[in-house]
Amino acid sequence: MSNTIKVLLLKYGIPSLAVIVIAVQFFFVNTQSLNKWKGGGYGMYTGIHYYYNQIYIPGMSVDSLIANNNEMERVFKHLKLMPNDDNLMSAAEFVVKTTHKDSIHIQIWKPSVNSKNGVYSRALVNEIYFKKTSL
Amino acid sequence: MIYWIGIKEKLNNHIELASQLLLLMLGIYISIMSEKYGIWKTPVLFLGLFCWFFFRHKTKHPIIWMVFSALLVFDLYLMYLRVANHHFVLTFMTLSVLCYRYHKRSDILLKNTQILLVIVILASVLQKLISNQFISGNFYYYMLNRGFLFDPFLGFFSEISEVTKSNTESLIALQATDPNIGESIVLKDVFPNLGVISQVFAMLTIAMEFIVAIAILWKPKSRWTHLLFIMMIIGILCTRLETGFMALLAISGLFLCNNIKLRLLYAIIAMFCVVLVVTKLGYH
Repeated sequence: MSNTIKVLLLKYGIPSLAVIVIAVQFFFVNTQSLNKWKGGGYGMYTGIHYYYNQIYIPGMSVDSLIANNNEMERVFKHLKLMPNDDNLMSAAEFVVKTTHKDSIHIQIWKPSVNSKNGVYSRALVNEIYFKKTSL
Repeated sequence: MIYWIGIKEKLNNHIELASQLLLLMLGIYISIMSEKYGIWKTPVLFLGLFCWFFFRHKTKHPIIWMVFSALLVFDLYLMYLRVANHHFVLTFMTLSVLCYRYHKRSDILLKNTQILLVIVILASVLQKLISNQFISGNFYYYMLNRGFLFDPFLGFFSEISEVTKSNTESLIALQATDPNIGESIVLKDVFPNLGVISQVFAMLTIAMEFIVAIAILWKPKSRWTHLLFIMMIIGILCTRLETGFMALLAISGLFLCNNIKLRLLYAIIAMFCVVLVVTKLGYH
């Protein structure tokens, strides 16, 4: 390898890696519903943190489901981070398996704020109706 | 006077000083992160410590940098979507210094740091520009009314704390209701005209970050560039104690800066951030 190419690689190799990571994050945000706060794209503080997204399961308490169940907590955290169809399906399967229910309806809501009138409401991000027979 | 000569001597070798601060930050960060997947990290850490204690003067390989790089990459592999953004910056900076220990060319290390900083700040600007919630000021409006920004200073204003507390209570009550009903609440403003202030603050944030990124790209050694960069770091720290990330930005500034007094300022900011990370008063 010639010296010029070696120097160029050393100078711009690591910054190029940073660009690739950012490009991958943009891809995940736009195709997999990844939240902008994560994935190395430096999108922190551009919107309300995904921690404040709400998982709503009619007829069930999410707090009770995650109490003393680390795996459930992990599944829900991942769902809030990336609320796409695949993760909703995995979460629904896991909840049905744990609670021995036949069907379940899971929704993800995100906070919506209007600084002009101060109104805080919730907007539906994604939802799934899941039946055990589809397992 | 004798103390200042000692400090100046240290600041003259700024690459070594910045590397030492980065190593310190790495040690603290790695120990915090080692709680996760500790069983896998234990042999790597043990082997690294053993080699560092017994062979560090007998080998040309920078063992400690290699071990820390390995642990950072290991965390990326296992928690790519969960680690903080500064984990990526820390990994890139560590790899840059690791390579520097072999090629020994400061111009390459400084170019790495300069371009990395520009990329990180420009990406942050781009993300803000394409976020409706940020551009409209709605994000800052929410954060201010929740008491999530300028929190080190909010304690001095009891009336503001009352408003943020009341907003939190209203939000908790709303959260307990079925979102399908479509209920909403009206947040109380911590001070008048908050909507407009939030929008102006959002625009200023973008403008400041953009100017700093361009200044670092165009004139990475200029005193004005570093004054702006330091203002940005202090501004962010006052807004939110993102001490882990800011320590890395200050260390990057120390790598690039030529001015002795500004180098000292960078070193003080980095040390202050490291202390806040250790005491857990700031975010790691």
